[in-house]
Amino acid sequence: MSRNTLDHDFGSEEEDDDFNPVAAYESDNEDARSTHQEQDDDDDDEEDVKPARRAERRVGSEEADDNEDAEGHEDEQDENDDEEDDEEEEEEDAVSRPRKRRKKGGVHNFFEEEAGVDEDEDEAEDDEDEMAELGGEMHPDDMDALPVGAETDDRRHRQLDRQRELEASMDAEKQAQLLKERYGRNRAAASDAVVVPKRLLLPSVEDPSIWGVRCKAGKEREVIFAIQKRMEERPLGSRNPMKIISAFERGGAMSGYIYVEARRQADVMDALQDMSNVYPRTKMILVPVREMPDLLRVQKSEELLPGGWVRIKRGKYQNDLAQIEEVETNGLAVTVRLVPRLDYGLNEDTGAPFMDPKRKRPSMNPAVARPPQRLFSEAEAKKKHGKYLSATSGLGGKSWSYLGETYIDGFLIKDMKVQHLITKSVNPRLEEVTMFARGAEDGTANLDLASLAETLKNSTAEDSYLPGDPVEVFRGEQQGLIGRTSSTRGDIVTLQVTEGDLAGQFIDAPVKSLRKRFREGDHVKVIGGSRYQDELGMVVQVKDDTVTLLSDMSMQEITVFSKDLRLSAETGVDGKLGMFDVHDLVQLDAATVACIVKVDRESLRVLDQNGSIRTILPTQVTNKITPRRDAVATDRNGAEIRHGDTVREVYGEQRNGVILHIHRSFLFLHNKAQAENSGITVVRTTNVVTVSAKGGRSTGPDLSKMNPALMSRGAPGSMMGPPKSFGGRDRMIGKTVMVRKGPFKGLVGIVKDSTDAQARVELHSKNKLVSIPKDILVVKDPVTGQTIEMGRGKGGPRVPSAAPPSSWHGGRTPVAATDSSRTPAWGGASSARTPAWAGAGGSRTPAWKNDGSRTSNPYDGNRTAYGGLGSRTPAWNAGARTPYGGSGSGSSDFDAFAAGSRTPAWNANSGSRTPAWSGATTSNGSKDARGYDAPTPGGNYSAPTPGAYGSAPTPGASAPTPGAWADSAPTPGAFNAPTPGGPSKKPYDAPTPAAWDSRPYDAPTPAMADGEDAGPRYEEGTPSP
Amino acid sequence: MFFLKEETKVITLHPSYFGPNVREYLINRLNEEEEGRCTGDHFVICVMDMVDIGEGRVLPSSGQAEYTIKYRAIIWKPFRGETVDAIVTSVKPTGIFTLAGPLSVFIARKNIPSDIKWEPNTVPPQYTDHADQVIEKGTSLRLKILGVKPDVAAINAIGTIKEDYLGPL
Repeated sequence: MSRNTLDHDFGSEEEDDDFNPVAAYESDNEDARSTHQEQDDDDDDEEDVKPARRAERRVGSEEADDNEDAEGHEDEQDENDDEEDDEEEEEEDAVSRPRKRRKKGGVHNFFEEEAGVDEDEDEAEDDEDEMAELGGEMHPDDMDALPVGAETDDRRHRQLDRQRELEASMDAEKQAQLLKERYGRNRAAASDAVVVPKRLLLPSVEDPSIWGVRCKAGKEREVIFAIQKRMEERPLGSRNPMKIISAFERGGAMSGYIYVEARRQADVMDALQDMSNVYPRTKMILVPVREMPDLLRVQKSEELLPGGWVRIKRGKYQNDLAQIEEVETNGLAVTVRLVPRLDYGLNEDTGAPFMDPKRKRPSMNPAVARPPQRLFSEAEAKKKHGKYLSATSGLGGKSWSYLGETYIDGFLIKDMKVQHLITKSVNPRLEEVTMFARGAEDGTANLDLASLAETLKNSTAEDSYLPGDPVEVFRGEQQGLIGRTSSTRGDIVTLQVTEGDLAGQFIDAPVKSLRKRFREGDHVKVIGGSRYQDELGMVVQVKDDTVTLLSDMSMQEITVFSKDLRLSAETGVDGKLGMFDVHDLVQLDAATVACIVKVDRESLRVLDQNGSIRTILPTQVTNKITPRRDAVATDRNGAEIRHGDTVREVYGEQRNGVILHIHRSFLFLHNKAQAENSGITVVRTTNVVTVSAKGGRSTGPDLSKMNPALMSRGAPGSMMGPPKSFGGRDRMIGKTVMVRKGPFKGLVGIVKDSTDAQARVELHSKNKLVSIPKDILVVKDPVTGQTIEMGRGKGGPRVPSAAPPSSWHGGRTPVAATDSSRTPAWGGASSARTPAWAGAGGSRTPAWKNDGSRTSNPYDGNRTAYGGLGSRTPAWNAGARTPYGGSGSGSSDFDAFAAGSRTPAWNANSGSRTPAWSGATTSNGSKDARGYDAPTPGGNYSAPTPGAYGSAPTPGASAPTPGAWADSAPTPGAFNAPTPGGPSKKPYDAPTPAAWDSRPYDAPTPAMADGEDAGPRYEEGTPSP
Repeated sequence: MFFLKEETKVITLHPSYFGPNVREYLINRLNEEEEGRCTGDHFVICVMDMVDIGEGRVLPSSGQAEYTIKYRAIIWKPFRGETVDAIVTSVKPTGIFTLAGPLSVFIARKNIPSDIKWEPNTVPPQYTDHADQVIEKGTSLRLKILGVKPDVAAINAIGTIKEDYLGPL
C-alpha cells in the first residue's frame, strides 16, 4: 500500500497520458525480478490495470478525509463495485459517480456524460479527483457487459446493477470462481495466446549483460531487496537514476552471488555502491551470453501425484514410506498417509513415577528410539490415552483423532510440506508397500500396484523399451506411426518405422507417447507394473493399450497394460519367487509337503498333500525338496509308476494327470486342461491306475545297447551283471599320503586328484599341489601317522568277520549267491579253491610272496595261466577281495560286490566292452548256471571248468579290453581306501610293498599287450584244476 | 501347413546289431523315433523314404557305429492364422481345450463368440448358444490358430472360433 501511495504521487505527474502508474503495481506480483521496471509495457498494463484500480479505489477512500460528502459517495461506490449496496444507493451512485469523470475523454465518455449532471462538486476535490478517476471509473468490463448504446440508457444501467446484485447473492465460491475467471491473470492462457519460439527469446550480444557480483553468502535476498529499495528511491526519471535493468539471485544454487543485468559494468558498480553485504569491488563475473538462459532456468520440481510414494525427511517418521493422499493445488503441501509409530503412552508411564518432571527425559531422539510401525489401534490407545482419543466420523471410514493427529483406517493422515519429504528415488520396498495394503495379510490383495508402478516408473521407463520392441505412437504429431524401437536414450525412444509412408525412417519419440504393440497370439511376458509380473502367456485380445493374455500356467485371462508386457521367447515355466518355482515340491513341516501352484510377488500358493490350498510366505517353507526323478511307487494294481507317467484316479473325480512328484504315498499330478491350482492335484498312490507309462513307446530295441536278441540266444539274464562301473574314482583321492622318495621325500599331504600313475598331492607343509607318481606315495593314517596298506588294509578286519572257510571265501560266496549265475561257478571255484585259499587266507603271506612264482600253489594252475598274463593275478586277487573288503563290515555282500565293481577285472567288463558281461549286468538277479556259457562269444567258456572258470572269466574278460587295465591299475590304489586303521593288516603288510610297488602297475602292461592271448590261456587254465 | 522336409538323423548302433539286418534296424529305429515327434517347431507326421543311409562309422573307443541317415518326412507346422479342425478334449469355464491332431489348441473365453455361453449345469458341461451350437467334449470344431507357442518338445497353441465359418461342425 505504501508503494501505491508512492506511485500515486509519481502518477500524478503523468496522469494525463495513461494509467501508467500501474507499472508500479506490477511489481507487487514479483519476487525475483522485483526491480525490473516496466516503463511502457502497455499490453501488460491493460490487464494489470483492472485489479490495480480496485485497490487504488480503496486507498483513495481512506486517504480522502477532507471531503466527507464525496467520500461517502466514494465509499458507496466502492461497495457498489463490490456488489453489496442496495439498489437505491446504487442508483444514486450511478448518477453521482460519473460527475467526477467528465474531463475524461475517449473511451470513458459514458462517464463523462453522466458526470455532467452535477459538476460543481467536482471542483472541490482536487486531490480526490485523480483518485476517483482511477477508482471510481466504470470498469471497462462493465461496459462490455452492456449492449451498444447502453451508455445513454439509464434503465439499462439500472438493470446492470440489479444483475450485479443478483450475482452478489450467489454463493461466494461461485462468485470467486467467476471473478477469477474474469480478472484472474491467467498466465498460462496468456502465454498460449502468443507463442513465441523459444530461441527468439534467447539473449543475444545486443542484449544487456549480466554480471555476477559477490555478496555475503545467505544475504543474497537481502541484497536484492536493498537494490529494490534503492531502485524506488532513484527511479529512472530521477536525478540520479539507477541504470541497471534487473537484479536477481539464485538462492541455494549459486549462493554468494547476485546477478545484475545492466548495459555497462559501471552501472552495476554505481547501483551497488555503498550497499552492505555485497562486494562490487571484487571481481565481477560477466555471464556469457550462452549461459544466461541457464541462470534463469527453474529446476522443475518433482510432480507429486496422489497415490505416489514419498519418504519423510526427519522427525519420528524419518525415512518412513508415506503415500500421498492429496496434493494441495499450490504444490507446496501434501497430505500423506503413514503407518503410525505409536507407543500409546506405554513408555512414558513406566518411567513416570521415578521421573522428575522438570528433568528432560533422556533418549528423546525420536528417530533413534521409536516405536515400530504399526497400524493405529484405538483399543490400545484407549488403554492409557483414552482422554486424548476422540472419534470423528469421516466420510466412508471411521477416523480417530489422537494426540492431535488424525488416523483413518489405522493410518496416520498428516499434512506435510513438500520440503520435508523425500520425493526422489524413493524406491519403495515391497514389505513397506505391503503395510499400506489394507487388510491383506499376504499383501496380494488390494495393493495398488499401479501407483507403485507410477513411482517406479522412472526406473522402468527406460528399460521397458528394448530395441526391437514393436511400438506404436499413440499421441502427439506422430500419432499412428508403427515401428520398432531401435534405441532408447533417457525418455526418448528412437524407432524405425515399419509401416506407412515413412517406412524405414528413424524417428524419435518420447516414451510417453509410445505404447507397445502386440498382436493376438503373441507370446508375451508381464514385465512389471502389475501383480502378474513374470507371468507368461499368449495375447488373446488387444484393446487400445490394454492387452488380455492367457497365462500359460494357470490358463487364466489376465488383462494388463501393454507397457507392462514384452514379447517373450521364453518357453520355460513362469513365475519364480526366489528359489521357488511353480510346480516345485516344498516341505512345509516335518509331516507336510506341498506343491507350489502359484507364485505371487511375495507369497506362494501351495497345494499340500492333504489337498488343501494354502497361501504361505516363502519364509514358511522349510525347504525345497529336490525332485527325485527315479522315485518309484506302485499304483492300485501294483504296477510301477514313476515320475512322468500318466495316471488316473480310480475313485472320486477320476482325474488324471502326469505325475509331477512322488512323495511317500502321495502323487502330485499335473493336468494341463485343469484350470484350478495350475492344473495340479494330489492323489494317493493307492487310488490311481496307470494310464500310460512315460514316453509310451518303449518298443524296439535300444540300438545303442547290447542287442537283446543276441543276449537271449544264450541264456537271457544269465550273465551276472558286473555292477556298474563308477568311473573308477580313485580311492586314493582324499587320503593322507607320505612321499617316499624324490624331492618331496618325507612330506605328507593329501591326494586331491589322481591319474593312473600320478597323484596330485596337496602338501601339508608347503600348501601346494604337486604331481607325484603314485608309486612313491605311502598312504598314512591322518591321525596316527601309521602306514596304511592300500588294498590289503582291510584284510585284518576282514578275517574275523569272514565266513569259516577263509576270508576270501567268505567274501566271495555270498557274492556268488547274490549273483545267481555266478554262484555255481564261484561255488565250484571256491570249493576247489578253498583249501588253497584257506591256506592263502591263513598264511597268505607266503603265497603272496610267491606271487611271482606261484606255480606251486594248486591255484597256480590257474594262476600260472594268469601268471602268463604277467602279474595280473594280484590285480585279480585284489579285485576279488575288493567286494569282500567292502562287505567286511557291511551286511550285504551284493553291495560289496557293487563296490567290487572297482575290481579291475570287473571294471573291465562293466565297460560293456565285453558283451557277455554287460549283458549280465541287466540280468543280475536271475539264477542260471549257464550264465557263463552264454556270454562267452568265443565259446571258450563252454567247457565249464568250475574252479578255473570261476576265476578265470574275470581276467579273461578283462584281458581283451586293453582299456580295462588302465582302469584296473588304479584299483589297487583304491584298495587302500577301505583300510584305514585296520588293525590286523600286518600279515598283509609284508607282501604289500612288493605287490604294490611294482606289480599292479607292471601287471597290466603285459596283459594289455597280449589281451588276445587271454583266451587260449583260459583254455590252459581250464584243465589245470 | 504340411511340408515334405528332408532331414538328417544320426543313429548309433551297438556292435551287437551289426549284421545283415542293419538296414532294417535303422529304418525301424528311425520310424519309431521320428514319426509323431514334436520338435517344438513342427510335428513329424510320417517318414516317407530314406534318401540315403550313410556308411556306418565305428566310433573309436566304444565300437558303436554311427549312421547318418537322410530321409524325407511329412511334417506339420502349425501357423498363426491357419484354420484347422479339432476335437474338443475338455471344456472349462476358462475356455475350450481341443486337439488338432497332435496339437493342443486352447480357445479362451474371449475367443468364443459371445452368444455361445458357458453352461455348467448340463452333463457334461458345455458351451452352447442354446440353439444348434453345442460344444462339449468330443465335439468337432473348426478353429483358427491365433498363436503358437513352441516349447521344448511340445507346441501349444491358442485359437479362436469367434469368426465367420468357425465353430462346431
